[in-house]
Amino acid sequence: MTRLVLASRVLLAAVSAALMILPVAAAESTSHVPEPRELWTGPMASDTPATLEGAQVIDVPALEKLLAEKPLLIDVGPADRKPDGLPASTIWKPTHRSIPGAVWFPGAGSGELPDEKVEALLQRIGELTGGNKSAPVVTFCRPKCWASWNIGKRLVKAGYTSVYWLPAGVTGWQERNDTSPVEPEAGWTPKPSGGQSAAK
Amino acid sequence: MKLLRSLVIAAVFTTAYPAALLAGVSMIDGSEPERQARWEELSEYIFGDRPIEAGGDLITIEAPTRAQDPALVPITVKVLKKDEVQAIHLVIDDNPSPYAARIKFGPAGDPSEIKLRVRVNDYTNIHAVAETADGRLYQTRAFVKASGGCSAPIGVSDAEALKGVGQMKMKFDDNAKTATLMIRHPNFSGMQMNQVTRLYTPARYLDEIKVSYGDKTVFEIKGDISLSSDPVIGFSYNPSDESEFTVRAVDTKGERWEETFAAPARIN
Repeated sequence: MTRLVLASRVLLAAVSAALMILPVAAAESTSHVPEPRELWTGPMASDTPATLEGAQVIDVPALEKLLAEKPLLIDVGPADRKPDGLPASTIWKPTHRSIPGAVWFPGAGSGELPDEKVEALLQRIGELTGGNKSAPVVTFCRPKCWASWNIGKRLVKAGYTSVYWLPAGVTGWQERNDTSPVEPEAGWTPKPSGGQSAAK
Repeated sequence: MKLLRSLVIAAVFTTAYPAALLAGVSMIDGSEPERQARWEELSEYIFGDRPIEAGGDLITIEAPTRAQDPALVPITVKVLKKDEVQAIHLVIDDNPSPYAARIKFGPAGDPSEIKLRVRVNDYTNIHAVAETADGRLYQTRAFVKASGGCSAPIGVSDAEALKGVGQMKMKFDDNAKTATLMIRHPNFSGMQMNQVTRLYTPARYLDEIKVSYGDKTVFEIKGDISLSSDPVIGFSYNPSDESEFTVRAVDTKGERWEETFAAPARIN
């Protein structure tokens, strides 16, 4: 009997270890971070809540199923900013790989976007969804990334009714699927070197 | 007992191959057309229109399939025909600054094996290219799963990270033909954010490291932000009766360091 108990403990430990290294699974649900009432303006790379009111939280297998409905995939992961202090000879060729078919708005997950940027963002997403606010939209970046939570929140507030938030982001996606290089949407190219840019 | 054994086996299997339990197991291995296109773009940028042949019987690269620490990924490049190779180029395709290192070997150098630690920013191919004395190029690659290595914060203040900068150690192996060089340097990538000030620390890394044995060059490395902090470089050399190794290093801020090390006694 004790052997059996021991064995099942070993199995349990192994399974949890396996889950821990797999951001694919809904491991985010252990988060105790409360949902802020408004957009998050604190450190962008930190623990996120388990929920997003008005939106559904999904994991990678759920996204794989959802793809049949051709959702709009919105990546708000940060763009690499050319560092200060690089010698001129450096070959600087950043690439951003995302879920195939995604549109990329680097920096659009900031909680402190100027009004005109918000307007442009919502207008572009309106175009991409054909003005249909019940069209499925998926927001993501990487794990522990408030940007994807924020843009989900913005879309819920703007009246979108099928918002899905993928906390596992590209990191979780690429555990099981390949990624494609994407270019930033017009108007969202990263700022040139110098000065402080948005927090990663 | 049988039950226990099978449960343990199942547990071990689950731990080792978690993805195998799921549908849609990832078969990404770096051979995808878009990844090949990236390599073609980069190699043209670095090598121009020089042809690059498959290097299977000349050069190999070893890297972890999944790196434990993306800021510290160990890479071993081995050259099988050492007399033909005069330089090795290391390219981390999907890093924003992909040309990680160029290593040129001198008369005291032996390109048989070189070990480096690198930063990997996203799932990527890492290419090692051997350049022969007559200018021919041969490539091989490894696909590495790691992300965030270039922007991973150092965890201490910049001043703390720079403490003892330039200090060196050299460890010689008993065989008197391989050694390991360690240099203290944060190798700031310029993509690391100070977690307190939320400002990016400007790039500052070891630009050139030259190791000589007597008055002959062993190797020269041209570095990049993709090399990990506190570089640890394993290398081979041609034994001789010279008594001293000299290491000269310069970083992108122009600071220079030089250190000498007594060569180990030769075993005949």
